[in-house]
Amino acid sequence: MGAHVDFAPSYTPEQEAFRSEVRAWLSEHMPKTGGDLDSDENYRKFRQLGRDLGKRGWLRPTAPKQYGGGGLDVASAIVLYEEMDAYGLPIPPYYDSGGWLGGASILVWGTEEQKQRLLPPIFTGDVVTWQLLTGPEAGSDLAGTKTDARRDGDEYVINGEKIYVGGSHGADQFWTITRTNPDGDRHKNLSWFMIPANLPGITVRPMELLGDGGEGIGAGVKNTVYFDNVRVPAANLVGGENNGWQVASTHLELEHGSGGSVGRNRWFTRALRWANEQQRDGRPLIEDPEARDRLVDIFVLTEISRLFGLRNFWMNRTHQPMTYEGPQSSYFRKLSGLKITEALHSLFGPYALTHDERWDFSEGTLDAYQRSAIVALHPGGTADIQKVIMARRIGMGREERESAGKTVE
Amino acid sequence: MDLSLTESQQLLKQSVEDFIEREAPRDTLVELQQTERGFNDTIWKTAAETGWLGMLIPEQYGGGGAEFTDAAVVYEALGHAPMPGPMFSSGVLSAQIIQHVGSEEQRQRHLPAIASGEVICTFALTEPEYRWGLHGVRMRPREDGEHYVLDGAKLFVYDAHAADYVITAVRTGDGEDDIGLLMVDTKTPGISTRRLGGFTSSESEVIFQNARVPKSALLGRPGGVRNALDRALMNATPLLCAYQVGGAQAVFDLSVKYSRERVQFGRPIGRFQFVQNHIVQLVNHLDAARWTTYEALWKLDSGREATVSVHLAKAVTSEGYREACDYAHEVHAGTGVMREYGLTLFTRLSRSLYHALGEPRYHRKRLADLVATIAVD
Repeated sequence: MGAHVDFAPSYTPEQEAFRSEVRAWLSEHMPKTGGDLDSDENYRKFRQLGRDLGKRGWLRPTAPKQYGGGGLDVASAIVLYEEMDAYGLPIPPYYDSGGWLGGASILVWGTEEQKQRLLPPIFTGDVVTWQLLTGPEAGSDLAGTKTDARRDGDEYVINGEKIYVGGSHGADQFWTITRTNPDGDRHKNLSWFMIPANLPGITVRPMELLGDGGEGIGAGVKNTVYFDNVRVPAANLVGGENNGWQVASTHLELEHGSGGSVGRNRWFTRALRWANEQQRDGRPLIEDPEARDRLVDIFVLTEISRLFGLRNFWMNRTHQPMTYEGPQSSYFRKLSGLKITEALHSLFGPYALTHDERWDFSEGTLDAYQRSAIVALHPGGTADIQKVIMARRIGMGREERESAGKTVE
Repeated sequence: MDLSLTESQQLLKQSVEDFIEREAPRDTLVELQQTERGFNDTIWKTAAETGWLGMLIPEQYGGGGAEFTDAAVVYEALGHAPMPGPMFSSGVLSAQIIQHVGSEEQRQRHLPAIASGEVICTFALTEPEYRWGLHGVRMRPREDGEHYVLDGAKLFVYDAHAADYVITAVRTGDGEDDIGLLMVDTKTPGISTRRLGGFTSSESEVIFQNARVPKSALLGRPGGVRNALDRALMNATPLLCAYQVGGAQAVFDLSVKYSRERVQFGRPIGRFQFVQNHIVQLVNHLDAARWTTYEALWKLDSGREATVSVHLAKAVTSEGYREACDYAHEVHAGTGVMREYGLTLFTRLSRSLYHALGEPRYHRKRLADLVATIAVD
């Protein structure tokens, strides 16, 4: 309990000094990019930036130092996020969902040996990890997965298929949930694995989707991953055999937004800039009262979203008891995304839909957002699933209020 | 960054809640709502004696000199009851106007009486051609020696029926800035007040018929009102938002409880996903209202530019409270519209306060005026 309600991070002189250090370092190491951010060449540059950040412990700033994290306090981590956000980039600057969520899960559920072996490559940016959750048969019903892992000596043999996976530039390993006892009780027959991506029997095939779901550089494509008698060392089973549903609670808790965020949705700033630049009836579009009303619609939605993210960031990092806040933020972001794309469409008309080289003024972002806002309805649980979880956490629908999953970072 | 309430804020909140439990439980409030005055002496005396009423008034004028967030914690707890009475109209809105628009002599004369509860004051802006904002002020007094003579009506004035003074906005000329605020004693001959019936809370009419008001009743200087009044409104608005947030929170609490207890088709209705959806939407409105409001308060307390945040908060909160009540009624169905259950106390306020200090459309319009200047970093 502080002396004041305070929405702004406050920084000690040491943390301000840290900001100067970060700023100077980033200005030196930030790669020069051109054209499509998601091109192979640009991606390689951002991967290198990730490794460089990782060497300094800045890739996972609040993760424990002994496993390759930064061991930094919350305010210093915010400094890092803010300074990266100034470049429009998250940490890591590339798609690494399995590193984020798998890393957090291993921190809670892994053995000491697993933490020492699996976490440093993730936290230092040596590897990129994709999460593999959804199967053709198991979408919202994650526990219904039919990807099987059968014990055979010191190994498990994995067979099955996961969809909506990863991004466009490949991964080093996969973080996935499997069924380790097809005849076992529901929720008591699941196990998680960290699987090297180069094992024999693994096939990755790109899927054709409407858009990328807006998950950052390298998320341009989703894939199907096939497992055909893939032999994985038993030492890579994390959290205990058939204990996978417990482990999932950590993974899902974070994916549902309980980690929060300090950045903001950039669509208001962008829309404002374009409304100033675009002409209608010989005047800047922003002089049209209708256009300003649409900008306000976008502003209101992005402000609420920002405040939900900020609240969750604070609750998560200061270990306040959380219930429905994670899925609330996730739900609101998904639904407001659709409303924002409608406001942008109303504001800019058909320009909102084209990435034509001659006429599009948004470098392809408007068209991409119209699509990705729709794609973004499902990752990390559909909007409806977020509502179901909220209801459980609020204490409706079940005998007992469900509590939030355990996270430690 | 620290979004938790301080220890003293939690104690404040507790003291309001204790008082409500003791003196103003929901069935008492349901009864009070039916009375002509709408509140009682116990409420008013307690608000004054505990210092809740004058919290925001500076200490040198007999108030508590509290910060905005402290006062908001109290107003949120009052809104959770929902406690009726002119606390906000008098102790916050009128006091802020007098503090910012009035002269030093006027501050010394009026503020201590407001803080002690001895005098009840309210603010009358809108007229039969209803429109929030100074543009809507048409009433133009005649000058007669040392007096202004007022004719006409102020309409939808909160708490005027209980007020000793009505701060009346009048036009003193044709220019945009020709606005005067008169501290009008409601006992002046030719002035009558009447509470309006219907789905209202304390909205009243104030009729002026050849009412003679001394020129000394003019707050501040003629022509110097606009900016000072704006300051006062920017300061007062988030406190009203906090009261609305308290109401939305209560409506959420009621709905969750009901969804767990009400059994239909052999199970609590909270098991049905349509019912769950109502409460999910309700809590989204509640939290949007809460965090926009408290961020605006924090900006005021920390001396940051708060105009955009205040307009945002009022737009989101007025919409949110109204929607929260709509969803609560979907959850409660028939039970919710029974007077004795108490939900309608909130529903009534969610409607009545929707347009108080400007309806959401007004605040969105102000945001639209400012939108080109909003710099987000």
